[in-house]
Amino acid sequence: MRRILAGLLTLGLPLSVVSPALAQQSTLEKIGQSGVLTIGTRTASPPFAFVNKQNEWVGFSIDLVEQGVKPAIERKLGKPIKLEKKESTPPTRIPLLSSNAVDLIAGTMTDTRTRRESVDFSLTFFVTGAQFLVKKGSPIKSIDSIAGKRVAAQQGSTNARIIRERVPTAKLQEFPDQPAAFQALVQGQVDAYTNDGIQLYGLKAKAPKPDDWVVVGDFFSYEPYGMAMRKNDSDFRHAVNVGLMELIESGKYFELYDKWFGPKSETPYPLTAENKRFLIMQVVPK
Amino acid sequence: MNYQFNWSVLWSGQSGGWLLRGLGTTLALSGLAWLVAVALGIVSGAMRTVPWKPLRVVATFYVEFFRNVPLLVWMFFWYFGVPPLLPLAIREWLFDHGAEFWAGMFALGVYHGARMSEVIRSGIQSIPKTQFEAAVAIGLTTFQAYRLVIVPIALRLIVPPATSESLNLLKNSSVALTISVAELTFQTRQIETYTARAIEALTAGTVIYLGLCVGIATIMAHVERRFAIPGLIARGG
Repeated sequence: MRRILAGLLTLGLPLSVVSPALAQQSTLEKIGQSGVLTIGTRTASPPFAFVNKQNEWVGFSIDLVEQGVKPAIERKLGKPIKLEKKESTPPTRIPLLSSNAVDLIAGTMTDTRTRRESVDFSLTFFVTGAQFLVKKGSPIKSIDSIAGKRVAAQQGSTNARIIRERVPTAKLQEFPDQPAAFQALVQGQVDAYTNDGIQLYGLKAKAPKPDDWVVVGDFFSYEPYGMAMRKNDSDFRHAVNVGLMELIESGKYFELYDKWFGPKSETPYPLTAENKRFLIMQVVPK
Repeated sequence: MNYQFNWSVLWSGQSGGWLLRGLGTTLALSGLAWLVAVALGIVSGAMRTVPWKPLRVVATFYVEFFRNVPLLVWMFFWYFGVPPLLPLAIREWLFDHGAEFWAGMFALGVYHGARMSEVIRSGIQSIPKTQFEAAVAIGLTTFQAYRLVIVPIALRLIVPPATSESLNLLKNSSVALTISVAELTFQTRQIETYTARAIEALTAGTVIYLGLCVGIATIMAHVERRFAIPGLIARGG
């Protein structure tokens, strides 16, 4: 046994000694060298990032990167870059960033204080809150009526955490991805599925029979979405923020908002005056 | 990699309790599934060697069908596919009493039963045919010959590959997180949710799996020595 342990230690030690020695290259330098901006995003979180019927990887978050962040980085570097997309899920997105596999998380990640201890966030590009998706006619109306009920959530989301703290009697079942959780709701394994309101609308719109499902309850959480990046890289963070600010300032952001959340889109989600003002006020002067 | 490790997240807060609970679920899930796998494995492994074709066909069908479909698919099958076939009352009762655990248990057990079956069949086929003939010659029925002679000898021969298969089962139990079973890997992700410290949490999970598997392998090495059949197995070292 002791020999096994010694073997493991000799295997592990060099790794831990070597890793801090690797050169710390800034993200902008890395992108400049490779000519590629790699983002971690989602494949099944409509309308932020998903694979559509034409098998294209699209969405609101991806548009923000393509039309705002990427041009801002290109201007900063003085040369064109390519955009590469990788799938990232709640449990994998921070490791993907810290291992340099991706440079930016642009999906549906809520900015939280705990997460800010591990990664840095851009300014907030979307505001939503958690609600419930239930079958039409369900007795579940809000977070006050889920005691003793079976509730599905997406693992790694902030909503599951709030339910566990506020309604410990609810039977919480956490799935790694949205399709499995929704399937459980369709078949009755669970009585409700909780996620950020806008994602539930997205899911409902994509369901075979959208009218069978309703999104209920007031927001029981505050979910400001931000783009996450490696910590302590303020030049890159600034470039990302400049990209987002320019989108908001030029009005392009609101065009994109209308494309994905407007009345004619699949997931109408009106931008409240309050949220619009909040977005605009994040833009600092030139 | 500019990553600041913070190992204290593993014992501060609720992390320790979650890891323990996850470990408990992993052990319960794997233990029960192992019993199912061994029972199915012995029965179907023996059936594949009996001198009666219909039984062999049934067992072959079971093995090939279940081992050639990915475990993940079986997880979804038992969790999403089976309940709609049950009467409503039973279904509701199951959903209220950890349906995901039982679905995961059956998925693991039946899948690994098919793989275990091959291990046991190879054990049986490594026994000289004359053993079976001798057993029948002294008046045992085929069933008695298998129960009293063939299977006990086979089980003593297959300890090493069966150990490997059991360790696979234990590790594969992590696939159950896809159907929301809160086992060990699930709990390491839970820690990540609360602390945003994925690398520390995954390392803790890795160390626990490694410890469990090395522990089981050590015990099985003793079992192997204790039950080796003198003269049938060449002893190394």
